[in-house]
Amino acid sequence: MGASCPLEIEGLSKRYGQHQAVDGVALSVAEGETLALLGPSGCGKTTVLQSIAGFVTPDAGDIRLGGESLLPIPPERRGTAMLFQHYALFPHMSVGGNVGFGLRMARVPKAEARRRVEEALRLVRIEALASRRPAQLSGGQRQRVALARALVIEPRLLLLDEPLGALDQNLREEMQTELRKLQRRLGLTTVMVTHDQHEAIVLSDKIAVMRNGRIEQAGTPLEIHDHPGSHYVATFTGVENLLPATRSSTDIVEIAGTPIAGLHAPQGTTDALTVAIRASAVGMRAAGAKPSGLLGTIVFTQVLGAAIRYEVALPGALLVRVDEARRGTAIWEPGTAVVLDLPADRCTVLTGNA
Amino acid sequence: MRRPTGLLLAFPAILVVILLAAVFASVVSVSLLQADPGGAVFHGPASLRNYTRLLGSADAWRSVSNTLRLSGIVTLICLVCGFPLARLLARASSARTRRMILFCLMATFFSGGVTRAYAWLIILGNRGLINQSLQALGLPSVALINNETGVVTAMLNFVLPFFVLTLFSALRTIPDTLESAARNLGASRARTFLHVTLPLSLPGVAASCFLCFALSLGAFLFPEMLGGGRVQVLATAIYDRIQTTYDVPSAAALAMLFLLLILCLLAVLGAARQVVTRRAT
Repeated sequence: MGASCPLEIEGLSKRYGQHQAVDGVALSVAEGETLALLGPSGCGKTTVLQSIAGFVTPDAGDIRLGGESLLPIPPERRGTAMLFQHYALFPHMSVGGNVGFGLRMARVPKAEARRRVEEALRLVRIEALASRRPAQLSGGQRQRVALARALVIEPRLLLLDEPLGALDQNLREEMQTELRKLQRRLGLTTVMVTHDQHEAIVLSDKIAVMRNGRIEQAGTPLEIHDHPGSHYVATFTGVENLLPATRSSTDIVEIAGTPIAGLHAPQGTTDALTVAIRASAVGMRAAGAKPSGLLGTIVFTQVLGAAIRYEVALPGALLVRVDEARRGTAIWEPGTAVVLDLPADRCTVLTGNA
Repeated sequence: MRRPTGLLLAFPAILVVILLAAVFASVVSVSLLQADPGGAVFHGPASLRNYTRLLGSADAWRSVSNTLRLSGIVTLICLVCGFPLARLLARASSARTRRMILFCLMATFFSGGVTRAYAWLIILGNRGLINQSLQALGLPSVALINNETGVVTAMLNFVLPFFVLTLFSALRTIPDTLESAARNLGASRARTFLHVTLPLSLPGVAASCFLCFALSLGAFLFPEMLGGGRVQVLATAIYDRIQTTYDVPSAAALAMLFLLLILCLLAVLGAARQVVTRRAT
């Protein structure tokens, strides 16, 4: 579809009264790339999105799409298409009327508009619903109408505001996959806003985690997932294990007094450290006759479906969560002595204690 | 037995309905009688003579057309002034602005009709605030009372708050993201209003106009006090028949005609409103 453009944001700031909603945000999104702004409510992510769409006028900074500043352009001429959180479908128009609205505003000839509306409806697989009213549709169908309405105008930039937040779990996963495929196929530069780390990971090429109007960490989904840059990011993205650790005399990180092979403490930091590691990255084996390494006892097991979650108690009241994929092995019983394996490349060493 | 409780609870309502029906019936029956000139006694036989006389009377028709015209003007001004105000109220980002406007509107409910009519006499009178200001500026004075200008002004003061509050609650139900969505899809402010805001507001606008018109139709106090006897509407015409000629049966007949007229109008407006509502949803 439309000619997609790279987006650059520089020093973007916006203050509401005493509240600094956005504080010097800089971002760049390459052509055809999807960026997710991830953060809790009130972190400023929505203000950034609204500034791009033109509903909010920033106090400082610049937003450039394809090299051209968007700020002097009114929202209707920015060429951005937004998928609103609750879809914002026009209740007084049919599905076809909703999807064709943008084309009508652009004064596209009737015959061409009709063809493009049909094409867009086919793209999201709801061509049979063209004459329905939004009130007669299910949540997933409304989502598709909103998507078709945004795509049909061939935007230079697609904006998604909590795109799948209003759908139930099954439908959400289905739409996530479908949305991702569409993005890849159309090659649309996309900025999305979400508070759901899973959604950010599965839908984007790049994630910027926001906190109090600033970007706390930016990186690829796997970087954010595996190597949170701070306690905040680790907590927000749901890293299961934040283990207090210390620095040994040889600068190796120690957990519960046991050195972790290959894991070096960063230079010049304090002695109080925290190791962040996902439960699924922790290895576990039965403690043999002469166990060595990180020794613990299973105190709790929980079936997650595809995996089993174990809670393993280490000396010093440390609790490590371990997700073990099921491979036909029996479930370990609570009370079993185990040795934990923390691969250094899956650990992130953070300074200070959680 | 659980019926008696329900009946007991409905008793006040039934009483009111019976009372209203009795009053209504007596008006109907009196309207069929004749009055002796100068006397307060009326007698039979029952006939439709009062009605036929009224239908042939230019005075009666003039008061009908005055009533409709004034109500129409008031409704139109309400729409022009009230819509922006209701919209401002519905979209006000600061709660303080909204509270201020709401307070100003509600404040008009705190004073009685007569008080307000006198207030308007003081403001609009020949030696009132406006004319004194005009004189002070060396401008000629204008007649603002004892004519339709005064009546419409005071009636507006009465119905505008009802109009704005009714429309406000209707406009509040339109999510503002719909307007953002329209802008985002390439609609200018004007076209957003034309294609999204206005069609979605129509049911609320219809309901508010309907209320406004109905309230204006029955207005008596303001035409009487600010019209100075020169603005004859149905309500004042009925009153005059009783006060000046003691012709209660004729007044009753006029009241019945008035009621019929309003019922017809409301039926037409109600049907129109239904069409609008159905198209909008």
